[in-house]
Amino acid sequence: MVELTVKSLREKLDKKEVSARELTQAYLDRIESVDKKVESYITVTPEAALSAADKAQEKINAGEASSLCGIPLAIKDNICTEGVKTTCASRMLENFVPPYNATVMDKLENEGIVMLGKTSMDEFAMGGSTQTSAFAKTKNPYDLTRVPGGSSGGSAAAVGADLCAAALGSDTGGSIRQPAAFCGVTGIKPTYGRVSRYGLVAFASSLDQIGPVARSAEDCGIILNAISGYDFHDGTSSRLPVDDYTSKIGMSMKGVKIAVVSEFFAEGVDENVRKSVLAAVDTYKAMGAEIIEASMPSLKYAIAAYYLIASAEASSNLSRYDGIKFGHRADVGGSYNDLIVASRSEGFGDEVKRRILLGNYALSSGYYDAYYGKAMGLKQKIREEYADIFTKCDLIITPTAPSVAYGINENISDPKKMYQADFCTVTVNIASLPALSTTCGYDENGMPIGMSIVGKMWDETTIIGAADAFEKQFDRIGASL
Amino acid sequence: MELDMVKYLAKLAKLEFTDEELEQAVKDMTSIIEIMDTIKDIDITYDPYKDNHNVYLEDLRPDEAMPSLATDKLLQNAVNQENCFVVPKVVE
Repeated sequence: MVELTVKSLREKLDKKEVSARELTQAYLDRIESVDKKVESYITVTPEAALSAADKAQEKINAGEASSLCGIPLAIKDNICTEGVKTTCASRMLENFVPPYNATVMDKLENEGIVMLGKTSMDEFAMGGSTQTSAFAKTKNPYDLTRVPGGSSGGSAAAVGADLCAAALGSDTGGSIRQPAAFCGVTGIKPTYGRVSRYGLVAFASSLDQIGPVARSAEDCGIILNAISGYDFHDGTSSRLPVDDYTSKIGMSMKGVKIAVVSEFFAEGVDENVRKSVLAAVDTYKAMGAEIIEASMPSLKYAIAAYYLIASAEASSNLSRYDGIKFGHRADVGGSYNDLIVASRSEGFGDEVKRRILLGNYALSSGYYDAYYGKAMGLKQKIREEYADIFTKCDLIITPTAPSVAYGINENISDPKKMYQADFCTVTVNIASLPALSTTCGYDENGMPIGMSIVGKMWDETTIIGAADAFEKQFDRIGASL
Repeated sequence: MELDMVKYLAKLAKLEFTDEELEQAVKDMTSIIEIMDTIKDIDITYDPYKDNHNVYLEDLRPDEAMPSLATDKLLQNAVNQENCFVVPKVVE
């Protein structure tokens, strides 16, 4: 039962084949027995979960259940949950208990979800391996010696290991899509502004977006329906009406134009990934889609542009951690400045410190125009190149990551190599576009390979419909733990 | 990247490093800046007027006072508080 989709669980709950409490207990039991190996959760909240399940059951019994009522979900630990620790996987926020809910949590609680707990991540969402977490260095459910990806590695691994029905993650440069690819599940980064960021601990505010990680594109659509929409508390959230993101489930691919952008398949992408993603493109062609070729000359600069913009924003956002209002406070005497310096130096991990240094460098006097100014210019260039490609097509397909999940000790000590591995995902954030990753194959070791489907702004519906069309004919192989 | 630059950035960032950490930071930052340098010489300029598609100036929320969180909730995460945020003495 724990391996079922949200849609199937909804039917079981509504038909009373299982109660919300039994379903919740089944996940809690599995977390108890399996998560020692996977380490996907930082905090598990069994009592609150069972209590939420009982409340959901009352709604179900009264025939008032909405699509997520009684569904056990996991929440990434950078999304504020009132009364439940939200650590961002950092010593800095080890004891932080938010006094308010993120807007997405209010929305999900109104739906009657059951929160099982908070999932691990790279510290402050900075990384692609979940190995910079201060509390739970999550493993890949397909091979416990490999990384789950990141930064939403805990959420993706929890879904892949059947430790929740679905989860929320956040994506600044690929942090939903890349772990979804590594863990053999589906994840969508919505258009920037589609989902409120209020209560999401800020990393890079112009790029961050919350989105679902689930077992299918349809499940992603169901969750996106619940969390999307304008929010008074987030001035960058969009007032555009919210679609029904499941409305194109079952759509025909006939006549849908899909672009293959050559630069995404060039040097740096492993042969097995390239073959698998191009085979998926062929599958779409066989379904009647029209495939066109396209080019994005600026892709080679995307990593630099992304890391400069994201780190510049991070260095500013993280300046709020002073050890006084919340977060780690060093036990030192001395001046106000001594306290701030000691608190920050003790609270932040190495990768977070590197990003703060880089952000300060990009913004500092004498370097601003050469780095941050150029990066912002490139952001506009990349947006224009996407806009041009989308005059000729409805969707773009790319690999989600240049390789399958790598070994836990590979790459970690080489930040340059880690950063370069993000080139398949970062342009989508730079251009504010929606994109979904779903599994399109497995390598010779059984490790999942992900493809990304990128759409036009606000067109999550077509992305989800197209991903569903592929998933319906693809045999997903679950992780065995 | 030179050691002095890393020390300067650390000062701006209000971070302190041991000598060993500084040595490592110089290595890491030198390697990272190599990637960033790829865009230094591109002939491109940023046009801020093109970049405001998510800002809805015609529809800003009214400037009205709204209830905020209660003081005890705001203070609940401060390690050192006596019904206010306690800071070291800042005026001599």
